[in-house]
Amino acid sequence: MSDTAVRAERQLRDGLLDAYTATRRFLIRGKRQPDVIFGTLLMPVMFVVLFGYVFGSSIAVPGGNYRSYLMPGLFAMSVLFSAANVAVAVATDMSEGVVDRFRTLPIARSAIIIGRSLSTLLLGIPVLVVMIACGLAVGWRPVDGLGNAILAFLLFELFGVAIGWLGILVGLLAGSAQAADVIINIPIFLLGFISSVFVDPANMPAWLRVIAYWNPMSALVTAGRQLFGNTIGPPPSGVWSLEHPIATTFALAMVIIIVVAPICVHRYSHSIR
Amino acid sequence: MTAPAITAEHLARAFGPTKALVDVSLDVAAGSVCALLGRNGAGKTTTVRILTTLLPAEGGRAQVAGFDVASQAALVRTRIGVTGQTATMDELLTGAENLETIGRFCHLGAAISRRRTGELLEQFDLVGASRQLVKRYSGGMRRRLDLAASLIHHPEVLFLDEPTTGLDPVGRAEMWTSIRSLVSGGTTVLLTTQYLDEADRLADTIVVIDRGLVVAEGTPEQLKASIGRPFIRVTLTEADPAALEQVGRLLGEGAEVSGRSVSAPASDGLASLDQVVVWLRDLGVPVHEVGLEHPSLDEVFSTVTDHSHHPGVHSASAGGRGA
Ligand SMILES: Nc1ncnc2c1ncn2[C@@H]1O[C@H](COP(=O)(O)OP(=O)(O)OP(=O)(O)O)[C@@H](O)[C@H]1O
Ligand SMILES: [Mg+2]
Repeated sequence: MSDTAVRAERQLRDGLLDAYTATRRFLIRGKRQPDVIFGTLLMPVMFVVLFGYVFGSSIAVPGGNYRSYLMPGLFAMSVLFSAANVAVAVATDMSEGVVDRFRTLPIARSAIIIGRSLSTLLLGIPVLVVMIACGLAVGWRPVDGLGNAILAFLLFELFGVAIGWLGILVGLLAGSAQAADVIINIPIFLLGFISSVFVDPANMPAWLRVIAYWNPMSALVTAGRQLFGNTIGPPPSGVWSLEHPIATTFALAMVIIIVVAPICVHRYSHSIR
Repeated sequence: MTAPAITAEHLARAFGPTKALVDVSLDVAAGSVCALLGRNGAGKTTTVRILTTLLPAEGGRAQVAGFDVASQAALVRTRIGVTGQTATMDELLTGAENLETIGRFCHLGAAISRRRTGELLEQFDLVGASRQLVKRYSGGMRRRLDLAASLIHHPEVLFLDEPTTGLDPVGRAEMWTSIRSLVSGGTTVLLTTQYLDEADRLADTIVVIDRGLVVAEGTPEQLKASIGRPFIRVTLTEADPAALEQVGRLLGEGAEVSGRSVSAPASDGLASLDQVVVWLRDLGVPVHEVGLEHPSLDEVFSTVTDHSHHPGVHSASAGGRGA
């Protein structure tokens, strides 16, 4: 009895250490790819200019400032794009010999991909900081208090972890990095653009509007806008996910993590190169 | 006889229509070196991958260090070191970081991982390159780093898949020295190779596999005795049929003429060679070269495998580089 307890404790401790070691490894790797870092930092700045000024000049939002409306959308987009990056990175990892090395070591089965998920979260923080700085520079302000703003960012990150897991799954299932890139980008563009991320869906054709309203990305940005105090007008009536955007986003993220993470672990430990 | 460190019984594995392994059984005594010898595509890597828990077998079973590779994979992994045929080091990490990461994954803890890293870098002559990214390493350095990585936790059983492929002669000799010193420390080694001389030099036992089947096994001496005796080859300066026939008669039973040379089994090895040289001098034919030759890997395969149904296989080069 106590013997199994000791063994279980040891297993847990080793598992946590393995996850830590894996995270550390991915962070070192991340640091060694300055071009990738540069790219992910440049992307948000580009988006602020592109959508804030190029398109934004022709987009009017009722009774508000478009760039304030846009910024929560861009936070959501950066979270979405990091899922695309992680899918490609995982597919690349799986094609490298180092996977074989790991699979002959006594590592906890889940450690490597948990490390991948955690390191993605950590490497996303500088990007978020740059985006916040850009937002502040173009006039966006969280006007509902610091506490709510922090809550908003936590929600974005939680959602980011959730779709990061979906990205990992795509990376594990795709045959190659190129395949992962193509497969992941289609849903990402659809999710990103058929939503209230960039524009108010009220003016879309009816069938598209329904999709846009029920799109989880719309719930995420609506939650963000609410917590930052950037909301314009009341939510469309009858759309539960937009009437309760925070609860919806939180619940959806948790469900995705709980369902997808174990699938990824299983898939990883049974993948044969 | 010590208890076997590796036992495999009737391993089988197919990849779609390709039968990579049909029936492979082997036993490796603890503390000994076994060489798995075979051509490209013989099934060497597949065997190693099954024994190192990377690939499930579809038939048969295997134990490594006393644990079943299928049902006790986690325990097997704590006992083995593996250097695969392809590099498994992280290109974006330095040599030292790679080793340290693997040490931590073996649950040695940070301090011991660091200490072992230092020792191994020293042992494999990589101290100077320890802070360089692996992507800047040469092929030989990668190979040494890979071997170092598989030793970090002092494994009981070490698997080396073509450890010397791609190394220059000096690197190869160094690899052989490293392997020998490991074995003298008690480690059991299963290595694969395409080179008979390598198996001969390193192994206590050799298992020859071909198209997924064990076709011969034994000590190097047993194999050499059963597979092919040395033979004498006499090459004349020109292909003169009359002279060739004379030499053939002189060499006696089993003499075969091909081109401008004649070869025949050397029943007494060097003694036969001495005798033949004396006879040739008396005969007075213009001789280009006389020598005692050992069967090449190609000839070993021709002997132990009946490839008459696959004529293409005979011409395949046995000395080619692994994929
Ligand atoms: N993952 C795989 N998918 C499909 N076929 C495979 C796979 N792995 C091996 N094979 C096939 O199984 C056979 C045996 O391959 P294996 O890699 O074990 O040979 P090998 O003896 O290691 O050869 P080499 O000397 O070239 O390394 C080959 O015909 C190979 O094409
Ligand atoms: Mg091979």
